[in-house]
Formats: sequence, C-alpha cells, structure tokens
Amino acid sequence: MPRRTAAAAFALLLGAAPVWAGVSQVRLQLPLRPRLPLRGNERIVLAPFLIVAEAEKARDKRLQNVDLQAEFHRFLQKQLGKKTRLEVVEAPADIKLPTQNLTELTHAVDFWKALGNSTNADIIVSGSLEFKIEDRSGYKTEEYVSPINGQTYYRQVYVEQTGFLFDIVFLVFDGHSGEKLLQDEFKDFRQTGGRRADELQGLFENLFSLENQILNLFVAREREADRYIFTD
Amino acid sequence: MKSWTSTAVALLLLAGGCASYSNTENSSSQIAFGADVARKGLWREAAFRFEQAIAKDPKNARAHNNLAVALEASGEFARALTEYKKALELAPNDTYIRRNYARFAEFYTSYTRTTGKTAGAS
Repeated sequence: MPRRTAAAAFALLLGAAPVWAGVSQVRLQLPLRPRLPLRGNERIVLAPFLIVAEAEKARDKRLQNVDLQAEFHRFLQKQLGKKTRLEVVEAPADIKLPTQNLTELTHAVDFWKALGNSTNADIIVSGSLEFKIEDRSGYKTEEYVSPINGQTYYRQVYVEQTGFLFDIVFLVFDGHSGEKLLQDEFKDFRQTGGRRADELQGLFENLFSLENQILNLFVAREREADRYIFTD
Repeated sequence: MKSWTSTAVALLLLAGGCASYSNTENSSSQIAFGADVARKGLWREAAFRFEQAIAKDPKNARAHNNLAVALEASGEFARALTEYKKALELAPNDTYIRRNYARFAEFYTSYTRTTGKTAGAS
C-alpha cells in the first residue's frame, strides 16, 4: 500500500513538473495588407482579359466548352461584391481591347483613361487569362533496391499526371489617369485523378485556390502561420 | 509505517510546489509563464512576460525569439523584426529561431510590398 501511494505521489510530481527544454508550436493569424492602397469604396470596372490559350483551346476539345472570359468575370464580380466594399461597375458591352499584346495593353494609357471617364470608374481591372490542361505524364527515373542482391538500381517508370493550369496576369489601372497601378501574376496547378476530369470543375478548383490572393489585391486578408516558442 | 509514508508524500509535494514557484523572479520562469499564456492566445500578457525575461537576462535568445513571436501576433511587425534579429544574433545556429525568422521574413516582405501609388493620386 505505501508503495502504491509513493508511486501516485511520484506521478503527481511528474505531472506538476515544468516541461524541460521545451519548444511549442503556436498558430498566428497574420494580416495581409491589400496590395493596392485603396480607400475601399472605389468604383471598379472589370474590363475584358486577354485569353492566352486560344491555340490550346483549338487543340483540346474539352476546353471549347469553357467560356473563360465569362466564367472569370462572373467569379470576380461575385467575389468583389461579396467580400469587398468596392462598387463594381459594368463595362460597356461593346468594349474591345485595343491590342492582343499584354505589354502594349499595359501602355495603352489613353484607352484606359477614356474607359475610366466613360464609366466614371476609379480603377479598372484587366490582364490576361490562361487555362489549359497539362499532361505531365511520362517516364520518370526512380530508385529500386533489388530484393535479391540488395543493390540499388535505377529504373524508368511511367507516371500518369494530368491537371489544370490556371495563370492570371492582373493589370490594375487608374481610371482617372489611365496609368498602371499594379501588375501581378497568379498561377495554380491542380492535379486531377485521371484523364477524364471535368474542365469546369478544374477551373473553379484553380479559382478557389487563388481566391485569397486575388482578393488581397483589393482588401486586407488574413493568413495562418506557425511559429515556435520556447517554454522555458 | 503508514504515517511515515504520508508525511514523506506531503513533504515531496511541498518540495515540488516550492521548486516550481521559488524562481518566479528569474527569466526562465517568466518565459514559462509567457509561453503558457501565449498558448491561450493572450499575446499582450505574453509579450510583457518575455520583456521581463529579457530585462533579467538581456542575452537570452529564447526570450528574444518569444517576444518576437508575441509582437508578430500583436501586429507589431517592425519590432518583431528587431527581436528576431537579436535572437538570431545571440543564437545563430538555433534551428527553431532560424525557421521562425525565415518564415517571418517571407511574411514581412510580402506585407510591406505595396505599389506605393494610389488610385486617382496622379
């Protein structure tokens, strides 16, 4: 009986003892400042984007079912309307970009100024969109240890890897001066389970994974981060 | 025999308790207390405790690291950067401090990266 009591006391002491040489991981919520220094209630026009993957679209029949311009506009409009205080203004229906070259688009100051004046917008968003199905299947070299002699060999194995690649270049212009305020690029690759994955689902997988980064152009966001603290 | 065991157990418990609380004034115990409240999300209190630990032992890299984390959690990023640098200066080979600093540097760079232009300013 005394032995049992002593053991219990020892366990109690162990429990009460501080953790020696300890390190603990903590999770912080860090703010992400908006990339554009805005008031928050500006009028924003979503101009058309250049569609980069036209040639790809012609090759891959599955991409022909996706109206990238319309889907992206709808997504962006919805996100900006829901998660910011920006006033989204409709661009004129007959608006045509002055060029199909991204660099030239960046320097089309007069065009952006005219669009800003006609819509009374503070900022204008445009850029380029690329969405394609990437087949990364192929032979890859892998290490192989022989169970017979225990030696390491290298062998070629066929790895099937298909996915959707989404690449957005954002251009943000000042609606009053037509000057470029910001240019940024976001990319996302989503691997699919097989070759027959749905392209629209793939597109939205890409977009939802980029949502935080896209919105962070206009409004503050938060992100989680892990850090270590010492406990003694 | 039974009363002897009970007395021994009581003495052991008392000694354990005393050991835990006798050093409330040293930097280690401030760090321990600070870490405890930090894990509960009380970052202001934690920062105060880590500052106390540094006041008692200015060359304690662990205290500087913890203070940096507490300042980061409270949004005081410029001060956090200073504290991370001090911690790293005092313990350049500490893996945890190096990892924290690298992750903070990545965050802080993107946080301070703005265009510098404002819509309608020109």
